[in-house]
Amino acid sequence: MDLAKIMDTNQPTRRDFLKTTGLTTLALGFPTIIPSSALGQGATPPPSERIVMGGIGLGNMGSGDMSNFLNNPKVQYVAVCEVRGGVRDQRKNQVDGKYNNKDCKAYVDFRELLAREDIDAVHIATPDHWHAIMMIEACRAGKDVFCQKPETRTLREGALVVEAARRYGRVVSGGSQRVLEDYRKIVNPCWGGELGPIKAINVQMGTMSKACNLPPENCPTDIDWEMWLGPAPWAPYNHSRCDGNFSCEGGSWRSYSDYSGGNMTDWGAHHIGGATFAVDVRELQPTDVILTAEGDKKWLSFKYPNGTELTLNKPGKGQHQVDGTPGEKREPKKIPEYAAKGGIGADFLECIKTRGKPFRDIQLAVNTVTVCHLAIISYTLGRSLKWDAATQTFPGDEEANRFIDRARREPWQL
Amino acid sequence: MSEQLDKAFEALKTYDWGTDPNTVKAIDEAIITTHGDAAARKDLEGRLVLVLKSEAPRAAKDVACRALKTIGTANSVPVLATLLPDEKLSHMARYALERIAGPEAGQALRTALTKATGKLKVGIISSLGVRGEEASVTALQALLADGDAAVAQAAAHALGDIGSPTAAKALISAKAGDATKGAIADASMQCAEHLLAAKNKTAAKATYDKVLAGTPSKAVKTAATLGLQACGAK
Repeated sequence: MDLAKIMDTNQPTRRDFLKTTGLTTLALGFPTIIPSSALGQGATPPPSERIVMGGIGLGNMGSGDMSNFLNNPKVQYVAVCEVRGGVRDQRKNQVDGKYNNKDCKAYVDFRELLAREDIDAVHIATPDHWHAIMMIEACRAGKDVFCQKPETRTLREGALVVEAARRYGRVVSGGSQRVLEDYRKIVNPCWGGELGPIKAINVQMGTMSKACNLPPENCPTDIDWEMWLGPAPWAPYNHSRCDGNFSCEGGSWRSYSDYSGGNMTDWGAHHIGGATFAVDVRELQPTDVILTAEGDKKWLSFKYPNGTELTLNKPGKGQHQVDGTPGEKREPKKIPEYAAKGGIGADFLECIKTRGKPFRDIQLAVNTVTVCHLAIISYTLGRSLKWDAATQTFPGDEEANRFIDRARREPWQL
Repeated sequence: MSEQLDKAFEALKTYDWGTDPNTVKAIDEAIITTHGDAAARKDLEGRLVLVLKSEAPRAAKDVACRALKTIGTANSVPVLATLLPDEKLSHMARYALERIAGPEAGQALRTALTKATGKLKVGIISSLGVRGEEASVTALQALLADGDAAVAQAAAHALGDIGSPTAAKALISAKAGDATKGAIADASMQCAEHLLAAKNKTAAKATYDKVLAGTPSKAVKTAATLGLQACGAK
């Protein structure tokens, strides 16, 4: 959108169109997979009828996802993509070992994997700064996508990945398995009506990422550093800059703002995903982010269009503490579940067949990570914000709008 | 605060890869505390511009460009423009220019476009797309036929980002080669979505028809067919 138009919030948007037309590829029968049930072959389809998959970014989380998909009888795993040579070789060997052949192809450049016409779907678990570009390119290449959380690194990326998914009729799932699997203790009573109409829920979240200026080191010869950095600003190699350990406090890419939002997005995708699911605002984005300072504590209040409030780090409130209206009746609602047994990966695979929206459909995942990004911007600027979900901008707030996105290093472009 | 800020700018003169970022943290803090104070912001911006004009290390100029992303104005544009041809600093110059409101930043990018080549040119094109200015359409249209496929593809995507009716016309009238047809198709459909949102189904349908007529990939064919369905076409 023209920067001058950002201030005008009355323009109808493409997002409204993509949301309301209910596009589906079911009628187009795409991809052409014959359900094993139709062939009477039980739970294990023959290789020619499995979902052909490849994986991009196969470190700590990626290897776990890869194992889940590789071991699913509905999948034929054919390709691995990883910029670290040692890891790439290990994953290729793992796939080859599973099938007792040498057929798995190994790539450094994800575009070569996406160019393969035989691949139906990919899973992505690179550092966060790559997620949006890869999801969009995968959609353009006609692939269905499972992407680890947090699904985006900036606000602008969120709208664009949803647009790409809808434009190409792709099944795109975000990756938080915890949203449905870890938070039943609050989801059940909220959806069951026992707490009455829900007024608010609190989330406790930790630190944000920070600037990184680690000293240069010699880059190991088996790491493609240019490809690891990708769209992020150039910086010299340092092993702690790119380490994939789960720390957000230093010594890992999750700690540093060029690649990640820190705890706020890394755990935010889970905790805020769980919270927004529990209080049933997962299809919405907030309109207001109100920052309150109490002594040395700063906490946030997100106001949703339906009146529900999500608070972040509110003093005196615990993790996922819900404020309902006990004594008031509210009819129970059916809790959405995965489309198939076997966790979030199985849900994704089932939706590839049915062309239905997965439990963590990319719009829902983006709605969650949007809250995380709004929190980071509010805390960074030290003030309250207004957010317009229709235009994906901060109306009348030129300074905040500068935080919606960041220029990508050439030649990378969304 | 002023003393801490002075120390930070002093530290910035020799700030290099590996220097503790806390030595320049006061600059980020000053950005926050000067919100709403135009005079203080102007002074801060002026000091950052001087860093970019100096012989400070690359890492220091990286810090300055990041700060100007938040507070840069037309006053920063000239010095940022000088960095656009620099292989090492072009990206960080765009880091600021892409987000600075006002026509000067866009004009600086368009001017740099005429002399840039290769990856730097792709970067400038992508920033023009993100800025979304109508004034960039003519320059981008001319690049749809560029001999460098990466440049032509970037120009297509940038026109899709702009998404205006003139951008849509530029894409529809482009001659797509094998290397560019995917990008032109995607960008065309991005424009068609704008047209549909504005309830211009006729123009949107014409766009999708054009995309389908161009021997599209399976993915593009699916997308264009879905688009036609949205137009109410059978």
